[in-house]
Amino acid sequence: MKRTLCRVFSAVSLLGLPALAGAAETSVDSTTILRIEQRDNGSQKDTFLPATEFLSLDATRLADGNLSFHFYGWGRVDLIDKSFNDDRAAGSLTYGYLKYRFKQANADIRLGRQFIHDGINNEQVDGVSAHSDLPYGFGISAFGGANVHTARIFGENSDGKGDGIAGGRINYRLGGMLELGASGVYESKAPTLQQHTSGNHRLIGGDVWFSPHKVLEVMGHTTYNTETSHVAEHSYLINIKPVQHLVLTGEFNEQNDRSYQYSWAMFSGTALHATPNGPLVDAGDTSRNYGGRASYQIAKLVEISGDYKHYKRVAGNANRYGGDLKMGFFDNMLRAGGSYHYLDAGPGFAITPNPSGSYHEMRAWGMFDSKSFTGAVDFIDYLFKERVFNEKQAWEVLGSLGYHLTPQLFLSGDVSYGRNPDFSEETRGLVRLTYNTTFSTAGGKK
Amino acid sequence: MTTMKALCAALALAAGALTIAACAQMKALPSLPESHPEALAVGQQVDCSECHEDQQKGTLKNINAFSHSRAFVKNHRFYAATDARLCETCHKVSFCADCHTNQVEMKPSVKWGNRPDREMPHRGDYLTMHKIEGKVDPASCYRCHGRGNNERCVACHK
Repeated sequence: MKRTLCRVFSAVSLLGLPALAGAAETSVDSTTILRIEQRDNGSQKDTFLPATEFLSLDATRLADGNLSFHFYGWGRVDLIDKSFNDDRAAGSLTYGYLKYRFKQANADIRLGRQFIHDGINNEQVDGVSAHSDLPYGFGISAFGGANVHTARIFGENSDGKGDGIAGGRINYRLGGMLELGASGVYESKAPTLQQHTSGNHRLIGGDVWFSPHKVLEVMGHTTYNTETSHVAEHSYLINIKPVQHLVLTGEFNEQNDRSYQYSWAMFSGTALHATPNGPLVDAGDTSRNYGGRASYQIAKLVEISGDYKHYKRVAGNANRYGGDLKMGFFDNMLRAGGSYHYLDAGPGFAITPNPSGSYHEMRAWGMFDSKSFTGAVDFIDYLFKERVFNEKQAWEVLGSLGYHLTPQLFLSGDVSYGRNPDFSEETRGLVRLTYNTTFSTAGGKK
Repeated sequence: MTTMKALCAALALAAGALTIAACAQMKALPSLPESHPEALAVGQQVDCSECHEDQQKGTLKNINAFSHSRAFVKNHRFYAATDARLCETCHKVSFCADCHTNQVEMKPSVKWGNRPDREMPHRGDYLTMHKIEGKVDPASCYRCHGRGNNERCVACHK
């Protein structure tokens, strides 16, 4: 039944295709990537040659000018060894929907496969969604349809998600100063799993955005799991802009592990603890992190930032601090950046049987992008405090060169080489052909 | 019972009147433009305040809040959750799908290896690093892989 529903909704989204012939504006973005990878884990050397095509299409101003069609998907074929799973070919429709946009009230209706990002809701559905502003500062949105399922969990016949899903959000805005939202999602009963623990995905929550003055912004949300009758998450952010180009950010996140991961079939069981009598019970574990960031734009194309975050879990405490720099020169034709971070983490976060999970992360990159040629170099190194599988570090360097055959057609190639605890050597080559009809359209979307 | 019926009828009448009044006012509510009227630079973090200094109309939030500073890029999830339609005036949905997708096998940092300036997640040897990061902050994994893209997770977590 669920597969039938998924196919019907996906097929409905493709009904827009015939209308493309008369589309006022159509853009096609195609990226074809041929990867050549060789991995040596010490005992076995594998060679992969997968070809992947990413295709997106946006046709706007159809019919009366307010209808549009949006599509994005990918497909892969292995030309030598199997590169990912047991299938030599695979693919997925990421989204494909018709949108009718009304001229007033930011109202629209979407039909087909789509992502929902609204309040506390983050879902992918084959169905319908609608949104509209309402008088007096109110707004409303709703969605419903069939869940888009992910890969089946090993040893199970499903991904742990229910088949049907519906939800929505109402909000109120007071001028440009305050927004309050209430949202919820209700998923049909989750399937019973043999080896994993999963629960129904049913949440309600509230969100807030408050900016009494342009120098201060507070935003965030709280979610409540109606299945566990417990708060699942608090996630809040404060931005202070005391002077132009300086942003001071504070962040606080707290999750009740059981309630937050309740419908995450693969890992929801990790939030349960065994009791002497056998049954697994909610241990009431909480994960919390908080920290801050200071970002300063030194010049139009030069920005520096420093950040700190503290993590607190049952497994222990950890701290991460560091900074990064991003620069642009010659009207951004030449770009460069670098960053350093240190994670100070105890044995509770280590890769077993290490006594420490601490590591340094260092990255440096540079790129050149003219109307004809592109070039890029990217180096990243993770330096472990304690060796992981007898390796002191995991590093990778990547080089890329590209040439614009025409303003719309771009050919590029990447080569990367690295050493890490899993592979004594990892070499990758990649050829990329990009066709983008909207590359230089004035006012067009990027 | 009669009082209850009368109350219900009055409430229904009031709701109907409110709905009609609201519908009449809907036509006066403006919409965001379908797309940004001016061409925006590709590969550059846009500073909205260059043109939209202190511009705030109706219930629209201060546009300066959406300037793409490092802080904004790092925390864009908060903005996208309530203002996706504003994002869509400048970005195609496929821009979001470069990272936020479902059932994809290739890391965004591999697909976009020629664009190291973009904040693509999981650069370098994340196969090793996720064993640490997944314990430090599992919620950050869940946001993308919990109910969405689990292709890579199931490849090893058996």
